[in-house]
Amino acid sequence: MDNVKELVVKGRLKKIEPAVQEALDAGASAQEVLDIMGVAMDEVGLKFQTNEIFISEMLAAAKTMQRGVGVLKPLLGGGGAAKLGKFIMGTVAGDLHDIGKNLVEMMIEASGFEVIDLGVDVPAENFVQALRDNPDCKIIGVSALLTTTLDAMKETVEAIKESGIDVTIMVGGAPVTPAFAEEIGADVYTPDAGSAAEKAKEIAAALA
Amino acid sequence: MLTAKENMRECVRGGKPDRYVNQYEAIQFFFSPHSWHSPSPQKGQENVVNAWGITFSWPEGTPGGFPVHTPDKIVLKDIENWREYVHAPSLEFPEEEWAQCKKMMDEGDDRAFHAIFEAPGLFEMSHHLLSIDEALLDYMVYPDEMEELVEYITDYEMRLAEVVCEYLHPDMIFHHDDWGSELNTFLRTETFEDYFLEPYKRIYGYYHDHGVEMIVHHSDSYCANIVPQMIEMGIDVWQGPMKSNNVPELVKQYGDKITFMGDIDNKLVDFTGWTVEDCRKAARGSIESVNSLTGYIPCITQGGPGSLFPGTYAQLSKEIALYNQEKFGFSVEEQEAMAPPMVIMF
Repeated sequence: MDNVKELVVKGRLKKIEPAVQEALDAGASAQEVLDIMGVAMDEVGLKFQTNEIFISEMLAAAKTMQRGVGVLKPLLGGGGAAKLGKFIMGTVAGDLHDIGKNLVEMMIEASGFEVIDLGVDVPAENFVQALRDNPDCKIIGVSALLTTTLDAMKETVEAIKESGIDVTIMVGGAPVTPAFAEEIGADVYTPDAGSAAEKAKEIAAALA
Repeated sequence: MLTAKENMRECVRGGKPDRYVNQYEAIQFFFSPHSWHSPSPQKGQENVVNAWGITFSWPEGTPGGFPVHTPDKIVLKDIENWREYVHAPSLEFPEEEWAQCKKMMDEGDDRAFHAIFEAPGLFEMSHHLLSIDEALLDYMVYPDEMEELVEYITDYEMRLAEVVCEYLHPDMIFHHDDWGSELNTFLRTETFEDYFLEPYKRIYGYYHDHGVEMIVHHSDSYCANIVPQMIEMGIDVWQGPMKSNNVPELVKQYGDKITFMGDIDNKLVDFTGWTVEDCRKAARGSIESVNSLTGYIPCITQGGPGSLFPGTYAQLSKEIALYNQEKFGFSVEEQEAMAPPMVIMF
């Protein structure tokens, strides 16, 4: 199990599948292996927040966990890999950047959420529609990377609020500040992917 | 009073500039035939394929073209067999096209450097070919293949450098390659060095050895951790340092070896409802916090003269000129007379 954790933290993509299988063969349950990979990703998130690791390394760790989860999926049954519920996310209309969104999604998924990716350049109404289509989703993430799309972020948050759907709205991205998040009525601002995953877990725990 | 070009030279070489260099005033941009022959989308156009086979779209309501990385459009589908997918375009163009470009440069304004604009760089090209997620992952997981790919792109850039120097004799290269986010570089310092230090030393070294006076490298990001490598590469001016780099400290530490052209983040001034006061505060705030006429050029971090919202760039220029007027006694008109007319590129 220690090996699985270390491989995820170090992003050793090519070695994770046999290591996961080895842990299972040694008697660990699929849930236990999944949990240890989650612990590894928590460590990765913290290291990213303190600049100990870099974006490429965080990405490699997240992809390594995804590949490891692939081995576990047939054993976990429905929902085993997503015990914290659904998390919808997209980049707002007029913005085609996806690296920040993808990193957040990978970290959120590694934390135990089922991620529904709306993609980039997403109109406000699509965020609302996705929430209507997934009434059990309690957290939504809205991303923007350009100052030109801050207005679209504002419109998206307003549209979600006006829909009356009970959901926690998380926002982030390079031009977003805590003050702007508060001004547009978002519930949560986080500065990076690691802290976004941490916050999403806190919210899910509070809602449980 | 120095021309904008003379003033920038003094600033970068640690001489005696007589005022702050004002953003891009000392640079005139030119595009070589290699740019003319690689299609790029106009606003509203979708799925335009460039000379490398990379698809770009510029949807309405977005500020520029962007590579399309749906599975069917990704050029490099298998990094382990990258040679099957990646084919650099030819750099052989008719003599008359080089002559036409040279004529435009010869007719350029002597008060500014004549820069050839080159983009994307080695790192950007790799993620245009692969998608950003896949490229970053492959730099970690497939080091041998990525090293080969970077070498292949470097060889292309070397051939480009040879023809650009042979036909055009620019005195400046303005080269884009974004290496980080606002908070950090994409790759660990050592990894970045392993992949990019020697290739860029080759490219920028060639330009320097063949008559190019100044290399300006654009990366609007955090890169403070790789400034020593940037110096070793032969970069004279880093355009685009964001505030997160602590530019005043960088200028103190490295300003005699590399010039920092930026420190005015777009997000401070370039948004709906921006005001003159926002621009004044950003321009003066940067100048006064750095407080150095050498090794520093106050500039919007964007990689070319202009701004996402109309008017912001021009207002920043005006504020810097007013500051120069107050501190050094040259009127705004006198300063304008020493530089080419402002051109908004983006």
